[in-house]
Amino acid sequence: MDFGLTQPQELLRDSIARFLAQDVDIERVRRVMDSESGQDEAIHGQLGDLGITGLLIDEGLGGIGLGMQEAGIAAQEMGRAAAPVNFHSSYVLAPLLIAAADGGERRNELLGGIAEGRTLVTPVLDAPIRNGRVDGTVLYVPDAAWSDAFLLESGGSLHLLEATVAGIGIEPLQTVDGTRRVAEVTFSGIDLGAAESLGGNADSTRRAVHAAQIALAADALGAAQKGLHIAVDYAKERKQFERIIGSFQAVKHMCAEVLAEVEPVESLLWHTADAWDEGSEEIEHLAPLLKAHATEVASQAVTMTTQVFGGIGFTHECDMHIFYKRVGYDRQMLGNPTALREQAAAVMYA
Amino acid sequence: MDTSIGSEYDFLREEIRSFLTANGDVAVPAGPGFGGDASQIRERTLEWQKRLFDAGYAGRTIPKRYGGAGHEPDALASLVIEEEFQNAGISLGMENQGTGMFVPTLLHFGREDQKQELIRPTMRGELIWCQGYSEPGSGSDLASLRTSAVLDGDEYVINGQKIWTSGAREADMMFALIRTEADAGKHGGISYIVLSMDTPGLDVRPLMTMTGDASFNEVFFTDARVPAMNVVGRPGQGWEVGTYTLRFERNMLGRSSTTESYLAGCVDILRETGLIDSPVYRDRLLKLEGRVQAMKYHQLRLLTDRLKKRDSGAGGLIVKLNSCQLNYDVCALAIDAMAERGVLKRGSKHVRDYGNWQRNYMYALGLIIGGGTAQIQKNIIGERGLGLPREPKPAAA
Repeated sequence: MDFGLTQPQELLRDSIARFLAQDVDIERVRRVMDSESGQDEAIHGQLGDLGITGLLIDEGLGGIGLGMQEAGIAAQEMGRAAAPVNFHSSYVLAPLLIAAADGGERRNELLGGIAEGRTLVTPVLDAPIRNGRVDGTVLYVPDAAWSDAFLLESGGSLHLLEATVAGIGIEPLQTVDGTRRVAEVTFSGIDLGAAESLGGNADSTRRAVHAAQIALAADALGAAQKGLHIAVDYAKERKQFERIIGSFQAVKHMCAEVLAEVEPVESLLWHTADAWDEGSEEIEHLAPLLKAHATEVASQAVTMTTQVFGGIGFTHECDMHIFYKRVGYDRQMLGNPTALREQAAAVMYA
Repeated sequence: MDTSIGSEYDFLREEIRSFLTANGDVAVPAGPGFGGDASQIRERTLEWQKRLFDAGYAGRTIPKRYGGAGHEPDALASLVIEEEFQNAGISLGMENQGTGMFVPTLLHFGREDQKQELIRPTMRGELIWCQGYSEPGSGSDLASLRTSAVLDGDEYVINGQKIWTSGAREADMMFALIRTEADAGKHGGISYIVLSMDTPGLDVRPLMTMTGDASFNEVFFTDARVPAMNVVGRPGQGWEVGTYTLRFERNMLGRSSTTESYLAGCVDILRETGLIDSPVYRDRLLKLEGRVQAMKYHQLRLLTDRLKKRDSGAGGLIVKLNSCQLNYDVCALAIDAMAERGVLKRGSKHVRDYGNWQRNYMYALGLIIGGGTAQIQKNIIGERGLGLPREPKPAAA
């Protein structure tokens, strides 16, 4: 019995946290968040140098060859730092879909590029492929505006479409959480011959989606933990009525309630990541259950910790809203809590 | 991550399974499905407790010289036992003031003769204990207690009153916190004293609770004389001795397997009533599943900390708060799923599971309050877990 992170996993967490604290500080996050495009061009290469973009990619292909436990750790730290990257999509979903495909040399090349942080592949789930053509509009596609290639998934089969192919229209959408962006992507009757078939199957697609759900849950957990951390720091300093506000039970109890709900989520995250790594069947209900629970708890947590700041918590100047919005994005993407509970129930009480 | 328990425990598993098979006639079921005639329940519970202790499943680490099985503390063995009993749906025996709180305290602070005399009968259910801590004026602020004892020769003469004393009428013995020195400060003048419930000068009056049971009592002391030898630890050491026991209470109130078996019972009701197919009920159920599963793995994390002799920090402080609230919420869903049947209480025609859901719903509320209220727990989490400052003492008027 050893339920928890191993020493190498703790070291990994520390090194990611150190990098993010130094190089992706809140000023950088704010610049990206408040910018028109929402793009942080440098971050992919930096994460690549650290090996984070290749955590899930085989060592032989330039990656680190680790599992979801490690990717979950990375995602949690991304959330804690509000790092401007769609980690769940570009570095969890994309490499896992490609790794499960057959594409030979091209497959290896793509994975190598992702591992180095120089290739950005954008997965498009349930792509509009009919009668040998890619034709239709897909909404809310993460990182589409600066993508190198689109990985089109349809009924489990995968096609790779270079972003330079004619007939792809990309219109960026504005997200509340400015740290991560999505776009409307229109494919105007592109002949499937212009795309490269990578094979693929429905099972590995589902498995990759589970992994991305775990990553989003971990991101929300990290953001909620950071929100609690800064709220508690504030409550230890701010004075009203000649008292530190954290000594008022009304404030103290809010913080305690948040801790009591948030803390156990980390254990459920570890268990779920472990189930994914072990290929356990349990993952069918655990991944949706974890994401539903983690984002629900995180939403409640940031609602409370914003209030700890009082009026300042409602300002743009206070960092709290960054984590508040971060959780909101994690909550809606790849299934919101209500939809995911329904999905988990269908598995558990069939 | 290694959540396996290791094949060295397979033998223990086998042993437990054969024990449960061999004793199936007496084994007490766990969860809401056990009930019926009160005296029969009591008799069977006591008999089951004897068998559990004699077989070494209750009080497993109690040394052989006190009648125990004398096993080394082994959190994994405890987990295996808990798992096997849970899988079989069988109760792990009495977990009460005597077995769960008094015995661990006595092992730590007691004199040899006290241990010899009291541990074995307590563990076998032959001596039933109650806890005399709270007083009408001393609830959350326990150390302000005023029941006092004055030394007269080799006896203490006790006067005062205790309240919320669970099981005082069924109990043979009480362990109590009593003020033995009037001027040794708030925490300094308290002693931990054991006494027989037959002591003249003791008056026990039942206090009906909202569950309809008179499980609580008030206990009045009027010149009750108790041998001075009955102190556990040193006179004046009572606060340390008594709060050592409270640690066991915090554990006792947060066993995750209890919550899991209640949730399984709740799912049974939802299936029976067909409500499992209602998206609204399923949504409530899944919200609970998320919290129950998170607490289940959180407890594995705490167990790992214990095995590695590592401090769990804030993680250990949240168990009582979360577990009691979860038990309450699980019972609430089960009762809702019963619709109008949910209004029935024990003894009524048509009542489900002997009215245990209704009773446990309210009992869980009692536990949210008892053993340190939820609000006191939040103070502890805020102050010890998050380092927030204590509330300043009000200025003297």
